[in-house]
Amino acid sequence: MSGLAVRSLRHRPRAAVATFLAVLLGTLLIGSFATLAESSGGAPAPDDGTLIILGAVVGGWGALIVLFSVASTVAITTTQRATEIGLLRTIGATPRQARRLIARETGAIALTAAVAGALAASVTGRLLFELIRSGGLVSDRTEYDAGPASVAGAAVLVLVVSALAAAVAARKATRGPAGMLVRESAGEHGRMRWWRVAVALLLIGYGLAMAVITVAVTADSDDPYAAMSTSGSSSILVGVGLAVLAPVLLRWAAGPVRLLAGTSATAHLASYNTARRAHLLAGVLAPVVVLTAAAAGTLMLVDIDRRSLPAGTPDSDTITLLNNVVVGMISLFAAIMVVNAFVATVAHRREELHRLRLLGATPRQVRGSVVAEAGLVAVIGVVLGLVAAATTVVPFAVARDEGLVPDGGLWLVPAVAAAVVALTLGAARGAVRSAARVTV
Amino acid sequence: MSEIALEVQDLTRTYGAGDNAVTALAGVDLAFRRGTFTAVMGPSGSGKSTFLSCAAGLDRPTGGRVLVGGTDVTDWDEERRTRLRRERIGFVFQGFHLLPYLSAAQNVALPSRLAGRRVDRERVRYLLERVGLADRAHHLPGSLSGGQQQRVAIARALLTSPDVLLADEPTGALDSTTARQVLGMLRGSVADLGQTVVMVTHDPVAASYAGEVVFLVDGRVAGRMAHPTAGAVAGQLAHLDELVSA
Repeated sequence: MSGLAVRSLRHRPRAAVATFLAVLLGTLLIGSFATLAESSGGAPAPDDGTLIILGAVVGGWGALIVLFSVASTVAITTTQRATEIGLLRTIGATPRQARRLIARETGAIALTAAVAGALAASVTGRLLFELIRSGGLVSDRTEYDAGPASVAGAAVLVLVVSALAAAVAARKATRGPAGMLVRESAGEHGRMRWWRVAVALLLIGYGLAMAVITVAVTADSDDPYAAMSTSGSSSILVGVGLAVLAPVLLRWAAGPVRLLAGTSATAHLASYNTARRAHLLAGVLAPVVVLTAAAAGTLMLVDIDRRSLPAGTPDSDTITLLNNVVVGMISLFAAIMVVNAFVATVAHRREELHRLRLLGATPRQVRGSVVAEAGLVAVIGVVLGLVAAATTVVPFAVARDEGLVPDGGLWLVPAVAAAVVALTLGAARGAVRSAARVTV
Repeated sequence: MSEIALEVQDLTRTYGAGDNAVTALAGVDLAFRRGTFTAVMGPSGSGKSTFLSCAAGLDRPTGGRVLVGGTDVTDWDEERRTRLRRERIGFVFQGFHLLPYLSAAQNVALPSRLAGRRVDRERVRYLLERVGLADRAHHLPGSLSGGQQQRVAIARALLTSPDVLLADEPTGALDSTTARQVLGMLRGSVADLGQTVVMVTHDPVAASYAGEVVFLVDGRVAGRMAHPTAGAVAGQLAHLDELVSA
């Protein structure tokens, strides 16, 4: 089985790279913040509290997004192999063997990536600490003091999540009789499991609850940052919740778009592929939603804060800096996930795109249909992401007495939307071009 | 309109260069009249698939000409050859090649869509009815059997009433009962609709459905047989080397 796993990996470098990148960056991000939490141990007050908040709270939000992305990447690459797994089973592999193959493959990639990520995190953690100290968030007396424990912990956490995600996906791929699976893995892949819906509702509910608390309770607090601490995470929580529901939302949203397709072959193909293979494209929609929610939500939060607080508050500069670091890191991560997910999805469809060429589609039509899908995903993702962002922006604007709509910074909405759409279309274009080099 | 649906003249195709050069086709002359059903047979490596690829404009021949419906298409660029495939050639593949996310009816209508024309729903319904799948029009390929998928593919290939329908081992992935149905449908399209069908196969039973069999050996036409029976074709295949030396 191990030999087979290695050979199978060599045959599938793109999917392996997707998983590798997700785990590597995930470990890097969580690990860097974990070193801050660990450094807090020997730090004098109040620096210890600051470091804990940075490491645990900021790292915590980040961890949520990272773990979700790692899980969805592993799920994409495993689901895509249903046909191959069916073939293995027809020639006599037991479901157990097939699952073990997936587990070993994912394990080998994830382990390498996690170790690399942990090593890199011990460097970036130090850089992050330097940034925070030079920004004046902690005093010069406080030293970076993190051993291998925090980065190793982050690596183990990411590894456990990858293993769980692979196990869930593998179980899904090996359910049912073997013969059924040799057929093209197509059509609507079942419904969503109840626990997935439950997790999504929990996240969305928690995010909305924080929004309500912001308006009802913390808005009246004497500490100007109380409202920020309750509303700040809402956009990310709701965004991740919506991302978990991505397959269903995509299916619903693709329907109305079909009416606009007209006689265009590319729009026709794109709308049906989006609706009927929502489970595949959901892997792309999810990071788009999270990216939009985190970027729009946090940037506008910072903007409202800058406007409504009297200048010169000692904390304001550092908190703005911190928020921007968070937005930057999460955006970078989500952006890489969007590209990653597209490459993984399109690489899998190479044969199908070639089929379209054989039937007389021009290379332009083939590329066009993939880019149109990306456009659809981008628009749906941006709309959902902005809804999620509103759960942070609206309560915080109310708390800072700006009313339901913030007094300024509204240009951030189209700016974030345009950036996300451009990124998504660019990712699709790049992915289909590299797939096209072989077939189209 | 030309009497000849598809014609190749002195068709050659060589892969690689120098000492490693492999000749897949070494001067093939064939003409297929309208409304005929021809099987192209030969052992592996005889050039069957290369012949089909060149005829369909998927591959560029090294030498010789390809004429579809009397038009020389040999030197057409990729864009024109794509349009040629879409409008004047129908394809049926061993692996069905349906798009998994389109229903049976949508798959049949796809060539029209790609050409940017309005879909003739009446014709789509008629073709699905012809292949006995009127009640499956809205099913996705994943919920159809192999034979049903291939019948959808035949309906799709007939949509544009192409000059020639090219079939590449259309029954290779089917059991003998469904294979007979599919072959019957190909023959029916010739008899009822006047369609021209060229089918590459290595199955003597499949070949026996054709009006004529052409044998290819080592990239050359090695013989022909009119009104083939499965037994006669099998016998001929067993003695192909004699055809070559003759």
